[in-house]
Amino acid sequence: MNRKGMPEKKETEESLIELGKFYFINGKYDKAIEEFKKAIALNPGKSETYYNLGLVYEAKNNLEEARKMYEKAIEIDPNNKLAKEHLEKIVGL
Amino acid sequence: MTKKQFLVVGLGTFGENVAKYLTEKGAQVIAIDKDEKKVQNIAHFVTQALTADATDEKFLKSLNPEEIDVGIVAIGESLEDSVLVTLHMKELGVKKIVVKCINQLHARISAKLGADRIVYPELEMAKRVAEGLISPNILEEIELSPEYNIVELIVPKKFIGKTIKQAKIRSEYNLNIIAIKRKVPYLTDSGESDFKEEINISPFPDDELNDGDILVVIGKDSDVERLKKE
Repeated sequence: MNRKGMPEKKETEESLIELGKFYFINGKYDKAIEEFKKAIALNPGKSETYYNLGLVYEAKNNLEEARKMYEKAIEIDPNNKLAKEHLEKIVGL
Repeated sequence: MTKKQFLVVGLGTFGENVAKYLTEKGAQVIAIDKDEKKVQNIAHFVTQALTADATDEKFLKSLNPEEIDVGIVAIGESLEDSVLVTLHMKELGVKKIVVKCINQLHARISAKLGADRIVYPELEMAKRVAEGLISPNILEEIELSPEYNIVELIVPKKFIGKTIKQAKIRSEYNLNIIAIKRKVPYLTDSGESDFKEEINISPFPDDELNDGDILVVIGKDSDVERLKKE
């Protein structure tokens, strides 16, 4: 319970991803990274979260980290098409 | 307008791709190699593909070389063959000759024989890769003169959120921003996030610099170096 007596809104993995996307769309890349990292800590097995995190790193031109995240996304879900496309672009294919 | 005529001799990776791109761009391309397999591979892409020895002057003469606008000598393995083909092309009146060279000696000989342009893909690529590894912030560099360059670099952290005017890139660094490349995030119809790349040519002084922007600047090498350190 918080100070107002309302139940604390539990940070679910979904809500963290949505928040991360919100920050990303608004160009707040560092905040987006924080949220996606929290979502990964809750569930390290979701391909989409790694793809989203990779996207933020790529937008910040941190291609090394972006690449790691896309690779992880593809490792979990070999059919993650967007992650594959971005990875190929980074490597120079 | 008549199409430009190109003659590509040597169909290794370089020659093959040059021939294909020229054809794609609407040029008339004759591609030649001694190796029948390489000729067959490219036959569907170019105007005419021939299995022949281009060091044979008589054969080259049969192609009406005086009609050819540009001859591209892309023979990688044999310096001797490359030199002979260049010499024949020059003597037979090919209007412009481009030679792909394998080393500096090759480049010097080709220039002496009258090659109009020397290309050195391995050396050029090596320089770019090395440059990229030494300065990861510099993405692309075009040399205008030994002193002046056009450089693509990632926006330094301290300028994020400032306008171009506030960042004083012109007054303090003597550099002009000619374009800003930006990745613009968006949501796809299915709710996935992605970004598209946009380019702002000749940005205004009041345009703001965002995290992840790539600045295309023109100016002195030493001034770019100073900005890079920010």
